Amino acid sequence: MIKHLNQSFILLFCGCFVLFTAVGFSAEPSAEGLAFFEKKIRPVLVEHCYKCHSADSEKIRGELLVDTRDGLLKGGESGHAVVPKNLEASILIEAIGHEDEDLAMPPKKKLPASVIADFEKWIMMGAPDPRDGTGPIEKPNWDKARDHWAFKAPQKPALPEVKQTEWARTDVDRFIFSKLEEQSLKPAKYADRRTLIRRLFFDLNGVPPTPGEVEDFVADKNPQAYSKLVDRLLASESFGERWGRHWLDVARYAESSGKETNLAYPHAWRYRDYVIDSFNSDKPYNQFIREQLAGDLMPARDNPHRAELMTATGFLALGPKSHNERSRMQFAVDMVDEQIETLSRSMLGLTIACARCHDHKFDPIPQNEYYSMAGILYNTETHFGTIQGPGNRHSSRLLNLPTETTDTPGRTLTATERTRLEKALADSKKDRDQLVAQARQERRDGSGDIQRTLFRTRVANSRVSDITEKLGGFNENGQSIPRAMGVRDRGFVRETRVLERGEINQPGERVGRGFVSIVNPDFKPFFNRRGSGRLQMAEWIVSPGNPLTSRVMVNRIWHHLFGQGLVRSMDNFGSTGEAPSHPELLDHLAIQFVDQGWSVKKMIRQIVLSRTYRMTSSYDSENFQADPENRYLWRVNKRRLDAESIRDAMLSASGLLDWDRPRDSLVAKAGNGQVNRSRNLQPRNLIQTFDHRSVFLPIVRDLVPPSLALFDYAEPSLVTGKRDVTTVPSQALYLMNDPFVLRAADNMARRVFEKASSPEKRVQLAYQLAYGRQPSNREINSTRQFFERFQAEQKKQTSSRINNNRGSAWSCFCQALLCSAEFRYLN
Amino acid sequence: MIEPNPINRRAALASLGAGMGTLGLFNSLQAATDMAPHFAPRAKRVIHLFMNGGPFGPDFLDPKPALKKYEGQRPEGTDLRTERPTGGLLNAPYKYTRHGQSGLPVSSLLPHTAKFADELCVLRSVHTDNPNHGPALLLMNNGTMTPKVPSMGAWMSYGLGTENSNLPPYIVLCPGRPVRFSILWNSAFLPSQHQGVYINHSKIAPKEMIPWLRNTKLDPTVQRRQLDLMQALNREHLAQQNTPDLALEGRIEAMETAYRMQFAATDAFDITKEPTKVREAYGKGHFANGCLLARRLSERGVRFIQVYYGNGQPWDTHSNHNKTTPNLAKNIDQPMAALLGDLKSRGLLEDTLIVWGGEFGRTPVSENGNGRDHNPHGFMMWLAGGGVKGGTTYGESDAFGFKAEQNRMHIHDLHATLLHLLGIDHERLTYRHAGRDFRLTDVHGYVAKEILA
Repeated sequence: MIKHLNQSFILLFCGCFVLFTAVGFSAEPSAEGLAFFEKKIRPVLVEHCYKCHSADSEKIRGELLVDTRDGLLKGGESGHAVVPKNLEASILIEAIGHEDEDLAMPPKKKLPASVIADFEKWIMMGAPDPRDGTGPIEKPNWDKARDHWAFKAPQKPALPEVKQTEWARTDVDRFIFSKLEEQSLKPAKYADRRTLIRRLFFDLNGVPPTPGEVEDFVADKNPQAYSKLVDRLLASESFGERWGRHWLDVARYAESSGKETNLAYPHAWRYRDYVIDSFNSDKPYNQFIREQLAGDLMPARDNPHRAELMTATGFLALGPKSHNERSRMQFAVDMVDEQIETLSRSMLGLTIACARCHDHKFDPIPQNEYYSMAGILYNTETHFGTIQGPGNRHSSRLLNLPTETTDTPGRTLTATERTRLEKALADSKKDRDQLVAQARQERRDGSGDIQRTLFRTRVANSRVSDITEKLGGFNENGQSIPRAMGVRDRGFVRETRVLERGEINQPGERVGRGFVSIVNPDFKPFFNRRGSGRLQMAEWIVSPGNPLTSRVMVNRIWHHLFGQGLVRSMDNFGSTGEAPSHPELLDHLAIQFVDQGWSVKKMIRQIVLSRTYRMTSSYDSENFQADPENRYLWRVNKRRLDAESIRDAMLSASGLLDWDRPRDSLVAKAGNGQVNRSRNLQPRNLIQTFDHRSVFLPIVRDLVPPSLALFDYAEPSLVTGKRDVTTVPSQALYLMNDPFVLRAADNMARRVFEKASSPEKRVQLAYQLAYGRQPSNREINSTRQFFERFQAEQKKQTSSRINNNRGSAWSCFCQALLCSAEFRYLN
Repeated sequence: MIEPNPINRRAALASLGAGMGTLGLFNSLQAATDMAPHFAPRAKRVIHLFMNGGPFGPDFLDPKPALKKYEGQRPEGTDLRTERPTGGLLNAPYKYTRHGQSGLPVSSLLPHTAKFADELCVLRSVHTDNPNHGPALLLMNNGTMTPKVPSMGAWMSYGLGTENSNLPPYIVLCPGRPVRFSILWNSAFLPSQHQGVYINHSKIAPKEMIPWLRNTKLDPTVQRRQLDLMQALNREHLAQQNTPDLALEGRIEAMETAYRMQFAATDAFDITKEPTKVREAYGKGHFANGCLLARRLSERGVRFIQVYYGNGQPWDTHSNHNKTTPNLAKNIDQPMAALLGDLKSRGLLEDTLIVWGGEFGRTPVSENGNGRDHNPHGFMMWLAGGGVKGGTTYGESDAFGFKAEQNRMHIHDLHATLLHLLGIDHERLTYRHAGRDFRLTDVHGYVAKEILA
């Protein structure tokens, strides 16, 4: 049975978000029947009926849809259009026969008799029809969706009453505790200080505390010890490296284009640094959003500020792109779609990009509003760099920054290097010109292999561009010119048209630029000729009337501190998203967030000071029976460390960690080119001895360093508000055998050896470094047993590969600690 | 990042259960699973020989005499429009002869494979939706161009579980990289143990193929001691929880699996363990090694094995098509025949399904005078073994092999058919994610019942 679905009939649904159920059938139609349908019936339906009777019709007439099997069977106002094997009951036959004037279809001209005969024959065959779909497409029920909680402004809730008032320390606790009381759940006890300091360090800074820090905190009798620790961690540079990374997850940060050709983006790292610095300086979140969308359009205090604002717009420029796309327009349209997808999901928790091809199926976002928003970005120039050549049909300039954005200046170009590059440039230009002339000649007289010559011309041309680009990175004194990815306004404005089904060759009605009305009820598209409207779009996103922005962000903060959001569908607050577990708390926090000047640090501080955050993760069978998923937070969730924290903790425990921020990135050092082609750009080759924090590792799409990718790193092509937690055998193989892990274990062994004098003390120190606590007696026994057996094995082996010294036993022991479950779990 | 609780996991399973009947309980860390399929399976595992770049069917198993007759012309009334400018028809100058009892026509490019003509089921009317490599690779592997849906191998592993807990259920062999990478075998929202394990087999030593397979420092016995200590610490940690913790137990088990895999994989991936006679039968080269590895893995119960022909897109013959193709054919013919024969003599062909093809086909008209452009409108694939009718053809394209005409078989239909052969109803193998039930075949797919043995 072959089903043939002609593409042009398939509704181009936004695959990810469409709820479809498969329609089964009782008897499958025969191949002949279907062939008959395809040949005789479908073309007629398409040509004569779809205009008014398909899901894509501007106005569906008579409530009848004939573009699906079920639509035909179900029929419209007048009854069943088709009843298999029953001509009398099939109203379609009556209609096309023009027997009844009111019913006559097609209304203007009767179909030829042979066609009508075909329809009759087809119905008598049982109306075989391969088309799927749920039949009459229900127009999205937006009335209900408009009532969706997330589209209404947060309401300041009254603080809930709690019976046991002594439990609640903060407002957050009152919200949590009142729910627990309501559900008859008992909150867990306070966690001990050892647990708390480890939790706080990983949550706020992404690294473990040192044994000294643990012992000091445990011994500190000051009642303010905890809040002082919180303030210290919030003030640490490591804070931005941790929380900036959370934002980079939703900003789909990466240093290459991904897709087929995967070109390096050697300047993306400036945006990474911008994000880290923004979190460290506690930049108000509304300001942070404005800068990323429209920094170029905002006033700057001075040159460093100007450079910062320009770098911020890298957010829009560093998405994945098909640089090899043949059509210029398709490339532009896809890039804008990616920008809309990213900004709407990361900042608004909305899936606006679903409305590219049709009205959004669930949320009240009509297709023309998508194009209103797209119009703003169509009228924006995106600067992403790269060099045109084989594999790259689309390159652009970069933004030249007025000043350096880092403390360390970039490398300089020596006079010899310049001479060498200039000579290479002249040579390449000569090559290219010769090839161009040769190609002309070949075209004229048909000699030679013109395709090959043309290809060589492109290669030569890309070499010219490559060297020009390299030289362009320096001023006449050989100092590097700081450059960044980002956007700016085009300067003139083109009109925007809706693209029917999202297809570039089907422009439809003209639309003004503007924003989605569901979060901007005063939606009025504008047609001015001056700016793109990007700054205005940013203002709409952060306006106090926007019900989503503040909620989405406080939910992200909550998620990173508790392991699950109040709303668990982090990037979808639309009507298919999940309802919040504590709606009043969410609103309370969202309102407070805005009232406190959109301060992320204040929000985090308030949450971690709550008693709720300070509970243990202890199990309780009664609570567990009632609330197995811990939606009401009767305890703190046990969490696995994320990929960066696992690696950073290994570096930290072993003493290898280099705390300095490296200037730029390994991708920047490798330069332009296809990452798959260039050996220098393979992260494996790049990171053998790179001991900086993981946030500074090179992030190349499709080539994420294995130490990150293995432990559920955020897919850098997608907005990722919530990472997975998986267990696969390759993680275990990595932990057992990777050279990085072995090196960390060696170093940790050396460190333990140098710092402690006796075997007992060394074992103690190793446990402290790994777990932040002393070993238990049982663990000491297991450890002793291990050393005895290790030595016994060594003795047995005559031709052993084992280095016959104490060091290897200690390294082996340290590795066991680094690879154990407790090391990578947070209680 | 929350660790799922034991009951949490079960609740999750229960909620998934609605869409999938008894299938796909994610259980792979436990011993080999024995799952009940929807109906009696005809194949237990699949070997997919992937000609990345896109081969031209009429070169091999789909004779088109009209190509010669109208060589250099663009016959009137035929629509041969393609992506890039193309010229007249380019002949496929390979002689066809009939083979086996079935008399299946096979071109002179496949003399070895021709001996197994009675095993082949040639699909001559496959078509796909996109003329570019990236999207077409996604369609062939994942059933859609939309990123982040599971690959078909992940679906198969999810639906049927593993037959050997010492090895991954889904293995991808490629001497290099196809132009789209891990997304082609990703598990997306399915549990991650179902993702394909990518192995670059350009070097044949197992430890070169599989990252982290070998410890450079520790002897296995010493590593065992280390693992014993680690597990003692883990059990101590578990005891502190005062609660059964399936996830933690799972991690303890994963460590053991990984430890065993060091040896199981070392054996499974070591083709030097094959007798010289066998290695000679397969011949030399990456593809030969890939086929031999595929046999070793299939006999060890790996569910889905993909062998990509080569790095990048070697079959993408935009110029000099007729010069390049005989070389490509030479590299695949003997290994394919050896694989068919080897599986057959071991009784494995009965329940091992072989799938051969590219992400799309090529145009009958020429590009650059002597090349062929991409063609998604109609192309040839073949199946063999596990439950398909050998010595047959299915569907037809037009006179030139440009557009599928009779019994058109979309990629969705191919997927539906492959799942059917594995005993899975493609409409019932679903996974609930982001508010809807996902399937490999989305809302499409017809099983080509005519080709079932």
